[in-house]
Amino acid sequence: MKSGRIFYTILFIFVFTSLLIVVGVVTSLTVTSYPIFSRDGLSFIFKSTWNPVKEDYGILPALLGTLITSAIAISISTPLAISLAVFSIEIVPSKFRAFINNISDLMASLPSVIYGLWGLYVLAPILHQYVMMPLHHYLGFIPLFSTKPIPTNLFTAGVLLAIMIIPFASSVIREVYNAVPYYLKEAAYSLGMTKWEAIKTMLGYIKSAIFAGIFLALGRAMGETMAVAMVVGNTFTFPKSLFDMGYTISSLIANQFPNAEAYNYMIPALYGGALILFIVGLTINLAGLYWIKKVMIKS
Amino acid sequence: MKMKANTKLVLITIVVIAVLVSIFALSSWQTPTQQTTATYTATTKTTPTPTTIQLSGMINGAGATFLNPQMQAWASKFYELTGGRIQVNYQSIGSGAGQAKFREGVLDFAGSDPPLKADIYNEFKDKGGIIQFPVVIGTIVIVHNIPTVESEKLKLTGEVVAKIYLGEIIYWDDPVIKALNPELNLPHEKIIAVHRSDGSGTTRVFTAYLAKVSKNWKDKVGSDFTVAWPVDQLGNGVGGKGNEGVAAAVKQNLYSIGYVETAYAYEVGLKVALIQNRDGNYVLPTREAVESAAKALVTVLPRAYEDWSHIFPDETVDAPGKESYPITSFSFVILRQVYDDPVKVAILKEFFQWVLTEGQKDVNIVKGYEPLPPEVSMIGLEGLKLLRTT
Repeated sequence: MKSGRIFYTILFIFVFTSLLIVVGVVTSLTVTSYPIFSRDGLSFIFKSTWNPVKEDYGILPALLGTLITSAIAISISTPLAISLAVFSIEIVPSKFRAFINNISDLMASLPSVIYGLWGLYVLAPILHQYVMMPLHHYLGFIPLFSTKPIPTNLFTAGVLLAIMIIPFASSVIREVYNAVPYYLKEAAYSLGMTKWEAIKTMLGYIKSAIFAGIFLALGRAMGETMAVAMVVGNTFTFPKSLFDMGYTISSLIANQFPNAEAYNYMIPALYGGALILFIVGLTINLAGLYWIKKVMIKS
Repeated sequence: MKMKANTKLVLITIVVIAVLVSIFALSSWQTPTQQTTATYTATTKTTPTPTTIQLSGMINGAGATFLNPQMQAWASKFYELTGGRIQVNYQSIGSGAGQAKFREGVLDFAGSDPPLKADIYNEFKDKGGIIQFPVVIGTIVIVHNIPTVESEKLKLTGEVVAKIYLGEIIYWDDPVIKALNPELNLPHEKIIAVHRSDGSGTTRVFTAYLAKVSKNWKDKVGSDFTVAWPVDQLGNGVGGKGNEGVAAAVKQNLYSIGYVETAYAYEVGLKVALIQNRDGNYVLPTREAVESAAKALVTVLPRAYEDWSHIFPDETVDAPGKESYPITSFSFVILRQVYDDPVKVAILKEFFQWVLTEGQKDVNIVKGYEPLPPEVSMIGLEGLKLLRTT
């Protein structure tokens, strides 16, 4: 009885602490960003200007940049992450499985500044020469590719983010895939399914976990600062194509925070950006959860 | 039912407490506590310099990243010279943050690219005043990446550079640039204008220069740590994070132009452009050109205890003189005039006197910086006399 009470007390303290942290973050974001919202109202979100000389701030281009780069990252990384997970379980001989998984986990733990430098010096020039220039040359009539690209832009940032988040999504999917009851697989094969059909069935079975892995990765993509700041081009403009340079909210914070204290409204503006990012992230996650629930109930 | 209401109540209480705690934490975080870190022992020893009392202790400064390598070099050399008596700590957190922390009173001194803004200067005036003085000189060069043009061949005027960043000159073979460089083979290619994306003292000085030579720039853009670059709106601008980001962008983009700290340009092997000074000559940031600019400014520069915000960098860029390099910048140290602790005053005086005299000798100057001419060092040396205790 007594040990039970101690256990529940400790549990309560931990729950309280994590709740305290979340509420604390939201409160400090709200309190610190209050001046910019009380001065500019919602136009802070819909203006596209970043002019410290006039203390005029609006974060729309950065918000769009965040959404665009994350969308690119997710659409590239999702098929790759699923493939990697399936590959490492179903195809790779068990001798090499641990090796592949270790490599993938190592990728997840690399500091983002390393990805940033690699992205800037290696990935950006390669993408520019072999992907973006041909796309622009042959498909330039499509608005998405209409800007003549330079190596650092939204697309480069999106691809770099995709590479960074693959291991996150992949490891979640891998774990869940492994946890699928074995009799399901046996049943699939006993029905005469091919390997490909069996894999499809298994993936259908863990659909919701795949979405969970993708949302985890999305959160990381939206919040990435340093690596994106190095390759996104950092121009505060309204993006018109994937090859335009741009900004993301996180990279804006990384770029502007060091000297922000020299201004009266820049710190509130940056915190305001962070708050918006928080809200957008939360909304996407909630929408995702809702959607998963619907999908789950249906199937 | 009762159970459910209870759980709700508990949850609400938790949230309320969490909000209160975090508001409290936030407000206490914003009112910093006064720190005194100098632990000292005043001892008299028989040493080669017997007349002075040998003080020991530690002083803490922070601020400009540009100043960091030089300040670390000075600090370690001084630590060595004093046999470990005096330790100077310097954290490179950015000029803006350095000034803010100094204002809060947590630092003994601040390093900064620009001097204090006027309102902060006035605020300190009522609290015993401050002194601020240059400790070293830095220069900014215009770099480019035109394959057909070698380094130190392209000639530019400040006004042309301003027009490029304004987006008014778009191609390298613009008649205005051609007229300055009749002997060069300039291609019909769009100029990609690279700038810093992070707030920086380098941008502050560079834009001050553009504002001084171009009225259009002054009216439309102005000068600050970060500005709204008109060329970005045309899609021809790129932001690089830090000097390394700008350097990488210039290297990767053919037909680009950019501005970086001089040491960086030569280290990375970027092509440097000649720039026209006020007297009409095309110059490079050589030791002589920098010295000439600094000497020309001596009459303009205020005393250490005065307000520098209207002088630097807006008045100090584009200095007169036949050889002067126009985009020359000082790095400042900012001190309070009044400290509670007499030992701290003595240590600050001893260290910065050394910085302004012995510290300016070539052996103590890190590559990429230029020493102050004696006339400019005098500003700081005179200023240090004002340091006192309450």
